[in-house]
Amino acid sequence: MAAVSKVDAFRRDRVGVVSFCVVGFFVLLALAAPLVSAVYGKNPTEHYGQNGVGLLSPEGLPLLPNGGVSAEHWFGIEPGLGRDVLAQLLYGIRTSLLIAVTSAAVVAVVGVVVGVAVGYLSGLADRAFTFVCNVLLAFPSLLFLLTLGPVIQTRFVAPDENEPAWMQFAVLILVFSAFGWVPLAMVLRTVVRSLREREFVEAARALGASRRHIVFRELLPNVWAPVLVHITLTVPAMVTTEAALSFLGVGVNEPIPDWGRMISRGAEVFYDDPTYMVFPGASLLVFVLAFNLLGDAVRDALDPHTVR
Amino acid sequence: MTRYLIKRVAQAVAVLFAITATAFGLFYAAPSDPALIACGPKCTSAQLAAVRTSMGLDQPIVSQFAEYVGGIVTGRTIADVDGTPIPCPTPCLGYSYTLHQPVLAAIEDRLPVTVSIAVGALAVILVLGVGSGLAAALRRGRATDRLLSGFNLLGASVQIYFLGYVLQFLLVYSTGLLAPPRYVPFGDQPGQWALGLVLPWLVLGFVNAAVYARLTRSQMLETMHHGYVRTARAKGLGTLRTHLKYTARGAAGPLVQLLGLEVGALLGGAFITETVFGLGGVGKLAVDAVTGNDLPTVVGTVLVAAFFVVVFVAVADLVVAWLDPRVRLA
Repeated sequence: MAAVSKVDAFRRDRVGVVSFCVVGFFVLLALAAPLVSAVYGKNPTEHYGQNGVGLLSPEGLPLLPNGGVSAEHWFGIEPGLGRDVLAQLLYGIRTSLLIAVTSAAVVAVVGVVVGVAVGYLSGLADRAFTFVCNVLLAFPSLLFLLTLGPVIQTRFVAPDENEPAWMQFAVLILVFSAFGWVPLAMVLRTVVRSLREREFVEAARALGASRRHIVFRELLPNVWAPVLVHITLTVPAMVTTEAALSFLGVGVNEPIPDWGRMISRGAEVFYDDPTYMVFPGASLLVFVLAFNLLGDAVRDALDPHTVR
Repeated sequence: MTRYLIKRVAQAVAVLFAITATAFGLFYAAPSDPALIACGPKCTSAQLAAVRTSMGLDQPIVSQFAEYVGGIVTGRTIADVDGTPIPCPTPCLGYSYTLHQPVLAAIEDRLPVTVSIAVGALAVILVLGVGSGLAAALRRGRATDRLLSGFNLLGASVQIYFLGYVLQFLLVYSTGLLAPPRYVPFGDQPGQWALGLVLPWLVLGFVNAAVYARLTRSQMLETMHHGYVRTARAKGLGTLRTHLKYTARGAAGPLVQLLGLEVGALLGGAFITETVFGLGGVGKLAVDAVTGNDLPTVVGTVLVAAFFVVVFVAVADLVVAWLDPRVRLA
């Protein structure tokens, strides 16, 4: 019953439905990237501008106006290497989403386990948790994320080798998760602490229910709403952090397509060819905006206490 | 209050120590050879050995850490790549073999830029974030409220590394309305100082304001329903005065805490903003240190950034305790 009314509440929210569709569209594009680019007839790695004639000037800038936008290359071509912008954007969504969604999943699991456990146990566990949270919150996390990647790389990859692609993804997911679980666990700790004192938990305890039963059967079903809200807002935050790292030069390496690196390259040639930065920048804006609106809509639908 | 103060300071020191240990452990112990990275690719093997001794890498990790922490408390002397002894006064955060100066001196050189950016950005956050949150709460549900929340949502979603370039292109490059962003010391020409930094302030402030607008709005709306606010209204105080005097004080707690965190984070360096606008602050120093593998500087900037956050979070806690007696008596 309750679930149905919440879906209804969400459906009535027009902004929520539109943003859900936009996010769905991006996810669909990411999943179908090989198909879409096959239909479109371009791949993200081929250097069209260097191989073709009349596309790039000797300085490596697109000859056609607006960054080489044409019927052949809908969003233009990359200055220098001459790759197709649309194909790179399509595959770039995959990179962003793979990292963001996997990290969000890890964050959800760790955050729920730690938050619920600490909220229920209190005492010493609670003190230790508060201290760890204080430490992690005071860490300059972006600087730390910036640094950890190269440190792990120098540790595990020989200087003459290239870092394998799976490892770049794994390192980013690892460091995002390492910081990301803290806010979720803090929220859940508060939620569980108040739930713990409620009658239904007391009743279960009075009936002689085990600690395990209380945590899994009584408490966990009541925390999924804050978890869902938190995760919906975490994904865009991860996407932008990943792009920021790439922008600062320590994200995913070539030739894996990546929005942040496109923006960083766009910044280098911005005054000669602004179009190359506008496409990934605007795509990122639309994607994050839609995701943030979706997160708000999910919260409004799930939380009757939201002040509107 | 004194007891609360002592407890809070002790906690801050413990957190800082834990951060120092983590940062030191990760960055000095993790790479296979920190000396090689610190010394650079053109290093001779004799220089490498000198750096290794100077960094104390021939010592066990625990005594390396003890020496590092000891240097923060008492200062120490560190040998450069060529063996020149460099005095590193208290608090010594290590020596950069890339910049050839103590890390703290390098940070101090760039701190005015970062502080300047932080001050202006904070002002924008307060006006745009807290101000629009207040306005939205007082005009709840009307067009102003919706307009402001839309504007703030845009700020929450746009990225500094996109908006910064677009605005520079439109306002500086194409139309020449503004001079290119640059840093002029405040003491020299206050007018030029503000003019050179206005674009970074606006961009950084706008992007961070949304959180404050939302928090201010929801806090105000929640507090408005309390009995004491109604009492103030009932005895004849005007709407605006009631809300600014009574509601705002009750609603301020979480805002002050978030602001404390923000001030600390801003002083630790605005990495992206400084990179986008080409300003040489602590953030740029840290980013360059990371890309150039300058480990001592990386650890130093991490510690300074963490120091600011810990200090200002503690200050914010004290302000909250002063605002709300329930906190300090708990």
